[in-house]
Amino acid sequence: MDPEGLAAAATPAKLGGYLSSLPRPPAHHHTGPARTVRTTLYDGHRVVVTTTYEITVDGRPIGAHLGVDPNGNVHCHALPAYQFLSALDAVKALIDNYPDEFTDPAGPGPDAGGHGGHGDHGGHGDHGDHGHEHGGG
Amino acid sequence: MAAVIRRNILTDTAVRDAYTSGVNLLKREHSSFTTADFGIAGPAEPVRTYDLFVIWHVMAMRTAVPPGGDSNIRNAAHRGPIFLPWHRVMLDLMEANLQRVLGDPSFGLPYWDWTVDSALDLPSDSDFWQPTCMGGSGSPVSDGPFGVDPANPQDPNAFRVRIDVNSSLALINRPPRGLRRALGRDASNLPSAEDVTAAYDSDPLTGNPNLAVYDFAPWDVDSEGFRNRLEGFNPFGLHNLVHVYIGRDMGLASSPNEPAFYLHHCNVDRIWEGWMRRNGRHYLPDQSAPAVLLGHRLKDPIVSPLGSSATPESVLDSTALFTYDVLP
Repeated sequence: MDPEGLAAAATPAKLGGYLSSLPRPPAHHHTGPARTVRTTLYDGHRVVVTTTYEITVDGRPIGAHLGVDPNGNVHCHALPAYQFLSALDAVKALIDNYPDEFTDPAGPGPDAGGHGGHGDHGGHGDHGDHGHEHGGG
Repeated sequence: MAAVIRRNILTDTAVRDAYTSGVNLLKREHSSFTTADFGIAGPAEPVRTYDLFVIWHVMAMRTAVPPGGDSNIRNAAHRGPIFLPWHRVMLDLMEANLQRVLGDPSFGLPYWDWTVDSALDLPSDSDFWQPTCMGGSGSPVSDGPFGVDPANPQDPNAFRVRIDVNSSLALINRPPRGLRRALGRDASNLPSAEDVTAAYDSDPLTGNPNLAVYDFAPWDVDSEGFRNRLEGFNPFGLHNLVHVYIGRDMGLASSPNEPAFYLHHCNVDRIWEGWMRRNGRHYLPDQSAPAVLLGHRLKDPIVSPLGSSATPESVLDSTALFTYDVLP
């Protein structure tokens, strides 16, 4: 890479101008329950494994989506460097690392109406008031 | 312009102090942009130069490869071959901005060799986490150059996190707050020197021959090869483990909010450079790979303000820009 070109780009105007020109991501990264589809061919058979997580904390759906990596570990994009053997462990880590979203269990959080900034559309729909997981890692 | 030398932050107090000073200068420098320019909901707040890098990292993480795909599978900066080149460009631009605000074109971004700290009884006792360097744990951190002094919580010059993400990965506008860390809480130790040695070991008798190859199909977190070993998905460790060890702000998509981010990634880049010394400056996939990998191939532009001049191929040999004092 050209050193002079790099030095010329090292201004807030260059980086900010570039970032502001990028397409705007949607306000919400995910919609609906987290769903992972893994496929493989084995001995001539086509295998499809679909995993769906529907998770609530304190009765409210969470905004973060959990998925399953090809190697079977649970992954949460909101914690990009983490890997989990259990979706329960993933949710515990979310609670620890997003303290502004998981405040007083007895009262409304800072994003009242749903964890993870989904307050304006009520989260992931009506999944009842108890968390459960389908499948696993 | 001569190449700078990147040095160990724990053995060079001058570069340590320059780094902490430069970060705080970038933290105070108004970029002329506001949060509204990046589609961040809420009142338009000024964005500081340092925080532009946080926005860049989050946007790249939300950019799926291929377009329309799932950024959880592979995105423009992570979970695929582009991981090391993308972060090299990010470090280069941070280094160049630090040179600018410090008025010192000879400044080289320091690295944090966390393998040394992993050998301590308690890695958080390292000099790295003392008030003279990064400061320690806390929510918020209350000591060091990036802490909020409990005796002066309204200090307008104190380090503040101003760009946040929520757990849906949306950039959000919250009141400025102090930096958060929980050293050793989510992972009890750092990667060791033996872990790095093992990542280089392609001897079929003692290691894995695939580690002599940069990356393999399916070019994701399930891949064999050196990139995924260093990124830390297969097996879990190295780069990823350091993020988890530090935790809190370092564990989120907005992890460049944590000033240790650049020192950690500089060490990751140094380990990559050490691998290229052993195996040559080669990269995969090349342009024969399908377009579904657009953004991860050898000659594809990296998602950066440098346009087509920054590709994996163009950053493989960066010795015109920097060298490391010591390679692993």
